[in-house]
Amino acid sequence: MLSESERMASAHELTFRIKDPNSKPRSIAVIALDKASAAIVDQISHEQWRGAHFFTSLSFSTDKQPAEGQSQAMQAWLNDLAGRALNLVAEVEKSDFVVVITAAGEDARAVSVIADACAMFHKSLLGLVIPQDDTSDKDIDISLGHLRPHSRMLVVAHGIDYIEVMLTALRA
Amino acid sequence: MLKKEQNDYLTQTGPGTPMGNLFRCYWMPVLLSEELPEPDCPPVRVKILSERLIAFRDTEGRLGLIDEFCAHRGPSLWFGRNEECGLRCPYHGWKFDVTGQCVDVPSEPAESGYAKKIKLKSYPLIEKGGVIWTYMGDPEKQPPAPEFEFCSVPLNQTFSSKRLQECNWLQAMEGGIDSSHVSFLHRGDLNNDPLFKGAAGNKYNLGDMKPVFEVVESSGGLLIGARRNAEDDQYYWRITPWVMPCYTGVPPRGDHPLHGHFWVPIDDHNCWAWSYDYHPTRALTDSEVAAMRDGKGVHVKYVPGTYIPLANKTNDYLMDRAAQKAGKTFSGIEGIGMQDASLQESMGPICDRTKENLVGTDNGIIMARHRLLRAAKALAEKGTTPPGVDVEHQKVRQAALLLKRDVQYKDGAKEALIAKKGVRQTSV
Repeated sequence: MLSESERMASAHELTFRIKDPNSKPRSIAVIALDKASAAIVDQISHEQWRGAHFFTSLSFSTDKQPAEGQSQAMQAWLNDLAGRALNLVAEVEKSDFVVVITAAGEDARAVSVIADACAMFHKSLLGLVIPQDDTSDKDIDISLGHLRPHSRMLVVAHGIDYIEVMLTALRA
Repeated sequence: MLKKEQNDYLTQTGPGTPMGNLFRCYWMPVLLSEELPEPDCPPVRVKILSERLIAFRDTEGRLGLIDEFCAHRGPSLWFGRNEECGLRCPYHGWKFDVTGQCVDVPSEPAESGYAKKIKLKSYPLIEKGGVIWTYMGDPEKQPPAPEFEFCSVPLNQTFSSKRLQECNWLQAMEGGIDSSHVSFLHRGDLNNDPLFKGAAGNKYNLGDMKPVFEVVESSGGLLIGARRNAEDDQYYWRITPWVMPCYTGVPPRGDHPLHGHFWVPIDDHNCWAWSYDYHPTRALTDSEVAAMRDGKGVHVKYVPGTYIPLANKTNDYLMDRAAQKAGKTFSGIEGIGMQDASLQESMGPICDRTKENLVGTDNGIIMARHRLLRAAKALAEKGTTPPGVDVEHQKVRQAALLLKRDVQYKDGAKEALIAKKGVRQTSV
């Protein structure tokens, strides 16, 4: 007599595996940390995505009129491809994952602000470092150094096709 | 998640398939030396990359891997007589040498030359590190012999085993680069298994259950670094090399031997999980070898006389719910190898990756699939030799080390990740 493990692992039993969807659509914020990566994000955004939201830059502002007795508070804004400035904290809150992208050697220190927002809502932050044609090892080191303290997963990916592959794999 | 056509592309390795062609660019482990121990020993059936073959060692000690079935009327040559430099079919006496060349057709006059016109498909075999390897690709592109460190050290420093795994090669191999499962599935073994216990680094594994990962491409595949917090402003790094298409190295613990795997397709529903242990600078001790033979570490206990794991799907992997409840094992299955295999086989003969829900920490797997797809397409479209064929790509070594937090592992561990003759592994 077949054991249940033997029976269930057979090719025949594959027929009876539930085919209904096992997950809900998810939202992934993809944020460029510098100008070079903004061009990459812009390019990727033209593909068909179900739940990916693309942002090409991060900007900051202070309250024009702080409440009496309070100092001016800093606000961070994500700029999307349509030119809108959306509140970073709100965008992170409604995302399932946050993916930040930096071109190797560029200044990626703004990641710390995004990481703070991720920490506030317990969201995972994934960092992608994209080497350019003239990138040196030192450039990659600089980028990794910026992203490492904040990322749950860091990837050095040669070629932007990997970003598309990764987002597809994550059902973005 | 993969699309169905991508999943099919990666998991099918038979003749003429893109991934099958990719695998046929490499030397692959096919038998343990112990399976063909001496000249004229019994032949051994081999199925690899969906081809049925027969391996034998002839009277002169030469190794042969040829089509399993006699060219006359098709019986299996496993029934053959291995004698006088050839394998003779017992049905009508046709005889084949290690190259597959027919050397005798008793019903025809020898002078007729008829035998010379019959030749079975054959592949070269070489023996290295206690393992017999085959190359099944274009003879004109046959690469040099493999130079993985485990098969390059003296024989008394290395030990290999293999076990049947009844699922597609890819889901088995993906377990080898999925560093995030170790803290769960194998947590019970770090302090108990004789081939793991006692290493200073174990406390970091058990003390920080949320490792952070970094994946970088290497010449031959990937380096997957998992870091955990350590004292004195340091990180404890465990770095797993993956060499395309199916070699992985498990980061070491203390002075225990280094171990790792090869995942070799038998057909699309089965693979051989090869497991090796070696030490770069010393002979394995008697107790280490005894533990390996007893199925400890990455090895398994066998059904006697076979390479089938003793705990297998026909006996529900000897599931022990009491051990699971008591926390002795996390899954209730004993032994690292079968903890992995039991779950991977339960995914089905070929895992349906259209249904999976990957997360960020699965990037090692995502990247590996990407590199395999890219390499198979480059081979198919441009004839590009894939990564991992070059023996320089094979001279990597797994490492476990403490680094200051501001040091990048690919720099801090640069020397540790290169296999160097006579140099001890870097381990904590």
